[in-house]
Amino acid sequence: MANTAIDPRQSIADMDDELLPVPQHRLHGPGHFLGLYGSEHVAATEFVIGAAFVAMGASIHDILIGLLIGNTLAVLSFWLITAPIAVKTRLSLYTYLDQNMGELVPRLYNGANVLIFVAISAAMITVSATAVRALFDIPPQIYPYPTSVWFAVIAASASVIAVLVAYYGFNVVAEFGTICTPWLMVMFTAGGMVLIPSLNETLTGYTTLSSFSDFVNLAGTTVFTGINAEGEPGIGLWEVIGFAWAANTFAHFGLVDMALLRYAKKSIYGLCTATGMMFGHYIAWISAALMGAATAYIMKLSIAVVSPGDVAYYALGATGFVIVIIAGWTTANPNLYRAGLAAQAVFPNIARQKVTLVVGAVVVVGSCFPFIYRQILPILAYAGLVLVPLGGIVFAEQHIFPRLGYKSNWHRLKGVKDNMPAVITWGICLVFGFGLNFLNIIPFVYLFLPTWVVSIVAYIILAKKYGADGSYPEAEKREQEFQKQVEAYHAELAAKEQHEHVRGTTALIKIIRVIWIVIGLIVPAVLAWRVLFNSPNLYDYYVNRELFYDVTIWCTVIYFVFAWWDLQVSKRMQRSARSSGAEVPAE
Amino acid sequence: MTIRIAAAFMAALLVGSALARAESTVTIATVNNGDMIRMQGLSEAFTKANPDIKLDWVVLEENVLRQRVTTDIATKGGQFDVLTIGTYEVPIWAKRGWLVALDNLPEDYDVDDILPPIREALSYDGTMYAAPFYGESSFTMYRTDLFEKAGLEMPEKPTWDFIKDAARKLADKSNDVYGICLRGKPGWGENMAFLTAMANSYGARWFDMEWKPQFDGEAWKATITDYVELMQEVGPPDAAANGYNENLALFRSGKCAIWIDATAAGQFVTNADSDVADRVGFALAPDKGLGKSANWLWAWALAVPEGSDNKDGAKRFVAWATSKQYLELVASKDGWSNVPPGTRTSLYENPEYRKVPFAKMTLDSIDAADPNKPCVDEVPYTGIQYVAIPEFQSIGTAVGQRFALALSGTIPIDEALENAQWVTGKVIERARFLQ
Repeated sequence: MANTAIDPRQSIADMDDELLPVPQHRLHGPGHFLGLYGSEHVAATEFVIGAAFVAMGASIHDILIGLLIGNTLAVLSFWLITAPIAVKTRLSLYTYLDQNMGELVPRLYNGANVLIFVAISAAMITVSATAVRALFDIPPQIYPYPTSVWFAVIAASASVIAVLVAYYGFNVVAEFGTICTPWLMVMFTAGGMVLIPSLNETLTGYTTLSSFSDFVNLAGTTVFTGINAEGEPGIGLWEVIGFAWAANTFAHFGLVDMALLRYAKKSIYGLCTATGMMFGHYIAWISAALMGAATAYIMKLSIAVVSPGDVAYYALGATGFVIVIIAGWTTANPNLYRAGLAAQAVFPNIARQKVTLVVGAVVVVGSCFPFIYRQILPILAYAGLVLVPLGGIVFAEQHIFPRLGYKSNWHRLKGVKDNMPAVITWGICLVFGFGLNFLNIIPFVYLFLPTWVVSIVAYIILAKKYGADGSYPEAEKREQEFQKQVEAYHAELAAKEQHEHVRGTTALIKIIRVIWIVIGLIVPAVLAWRVLFNSPNLYDYYVNRELFYDVTIWCTVIYFVFAWWDLQVSKRMQRSARSSGAEVPAE
Repeated sequence: MTIRIAAAFMAALLVGSALARAESTVTIATVNNGDMIRMQGLSEAFTKANPDIKLDWVVLEENVLRQRVTTDIATKGGQFDVLTIGTYEVPIWAKRGWLVALDNLPEDYDVDDILPPIREALSYDGTMYAAPFYGESSFTMYRTDLFEKAGLEMPEKPTWDFIKDAARKLADKSNDVYGICLRGKPGWGENMAFLTAMANSYGARWFDMEWKPQFDGEAWKATITDYVELMQEVGPPDAAANGYNENLALFRSGKCAIWIDATAAGQFVTNADSDVADRVGFALAPDKGLGKSANWLWAWALAVPEGSDNKDGAKRFVAWATSKQYLELVASKDGWSNVPPGTRTSLYENPEYRKVPFAKMTLDSIDAADPNKPCVDEVPYTGIQYVAIPEFQSIGTAVGQRFALALSGTIPIDEALENAQWVTGKVIERARFLQ
């Protein structure tokens, strides 16, 4: 029997911060989460998912209503399921599993994560490669496999660079990712606005829309037609709701976003996920679908095969290449990094370089196949199905065990090597979930719901058998001592760190911010507005569109130069404030 | 006895279900014009001869049809088994492998009977991908009474100089008679169809062999200058709002001395509803002495998409609807003047059809068209009044809008040409970048 209980004699200060609950002074207010979720959910995947709804044949009314309902359910799930557990434990799911589930479950969990993160990374690198292919005169890749050796070479090269960046320069990419969010939001919206007149002209002969009902009519006739790519009636309201809800199953029901929400002062900040759901998964999806449909019409191709690079180029001109490459890379890199970390956890005895190399090699091969990025929505839904049982297990421990008189941390207290009830429950749930999928009883996007319920019930029954309702006084005492030490350590940290978060308020920073906000964001938005609302005929549309293309690329350059400068100046100020011990305003 | 009845019932069920299984549906997407509606009405003859095929009709307005059919064929959706498409789409879609080659039609179909320019326009790399249902060119329609009164005689092959001169002499605006009526309404299928054909005869072209737009050349300037000056001088008021239908109405009511437009108009200006039915003459479209006249070539055709699940049934229907027998069927029901024109040589050899006043000139106009060599100079594209590339619809309409403004006097001709050069260059540059 192995003793997995926390050893209070171990120096708390020597422990990795990740293994400890988040201290109070590092908690964030709602503004942080509004921004964080806005950025997390506006990515290159949105180009693909928007088009996927069109190819699956959703109707416009189902999209407008279904996405609203599905994303509202996702927000409620974050608020009512993920946030309370994150706030209660103040741990990431990885740490929680590591401390409460023995050795096997975290290992299997990490193994599943390797596959999921590898698929997402490969898909996003392929998306980036679709933008580059036009620069090298490579034909569009309309099949599931590469039809050009050069496309495979480009995708593989991009993967190799991404792997190297993830390995050596992850922090720079992650930092760069943080400044992309406002720009990505503006560009996604602008792209749809720029292509609507062109799409409308093909249907009605007019470039202008006079009302919202005109827009609904246009989108219903040309984009969300209710007919899928096979010419059959497409998915309905229930499926649209399910896809929107299930797209982030692993994050909410699966509790992966405990990693983010553990920093929330209150669990109600789970509602702040609405920025990501209602912008990234509503406006950006619909905008991406409009862009995809317009591009497909212009290129006389199917939206099911038109590539994100081509879509972005027609919507945003040269800026389109930038958005696809940046959105693709900023999504691919963290996932690649996560895949590497997860793989290292699965194979702790193999050298880190070797593991990373193997993961990287799989991503390189996967990125050559357009099939993966076109199937990203089902991949995400199935990934959720795989990970949801663990969310159910943790939910049972944190919410139901206390009510039943069981110990939430029974396994740690008992000190056995493996949490067999968790292993067995996960196995039962995979058989149950994929069995239901095989029987095709309910749409696969809803499989996570019964699977989650089964995981809770099975775990409660099995955990009781294995001693969850037992008494472990010695271990509990050790836990209490450990908690006291953690609290003391956090108090020390709080005293040291209370002035570390600074907000730049100098005149220089103000000027820099005004420049990137006005030139980088407002100017392109105004030009896109002009394309949509001030193009009375096709010729004027082209004039406005070309102006938008020509100016926006320079706005983009200015945006990134000044936003990056802003970030670096702010960081320099923080560093100098820390080293001088000067009083600077707290955030 | 009971056993026998039961056995007979079972046998009937089996036969019935076998028949039900054997019957297949052919879904036809077509445009809502008179000829197509007539075809739908006569299709019972096809289903009687082909009892294993059930026809399902999807009749749509032209723009909606284009949208629906394009989406379906691009996705290989298989919603339709037979598509009604034009000569513009056929080479583009055939190049993409979206259409079934019509190279094994029944022997009695007589492919060689199809008018060669029409067959060329519906072929790609020498293979026919759509069968013509109706074909047209453009020609000159004129008022014989006004010509006679003015002491003018229309040559069979008029030149632009003659047309300009005649239009000026015949104009009598005080009596609402305009010297010439030409398309002015902006659109790739409206004013630009006419102006592109006219420009071809002036030695102009849309693109050189490197796909560089040519609106900055002298030939386009001469074309647009002559067009605008002539129309402003002796054309109808608000000419920039007049398309085919508006000019047809003007000519039929006796307000145009000369009208250059589709050969399909022949039947409408000579039928009983026309005020000038017995005073209309026909001549070829004008030329400028450079070897190309200003006539175009168009056909509505039936094609089978690669995504069809019933290619065999679809081909049988296409063969029937575009056959000599179908033309005879229409003639027997509605008379020879209502037969879809412009597709078959045999139709123009038929003594009954030759009595139709515009028949010969329609045939001569079609024969004079060469979609593979539409311009005086060499070009990298096919199509006479259009350029057979996916982007042409939008470029054509955008350019047409500028020329319409020049016609109405809102902008100078030079500005319209500069605008045309710019927009064409921009759109083609982006399109070619992604190819």
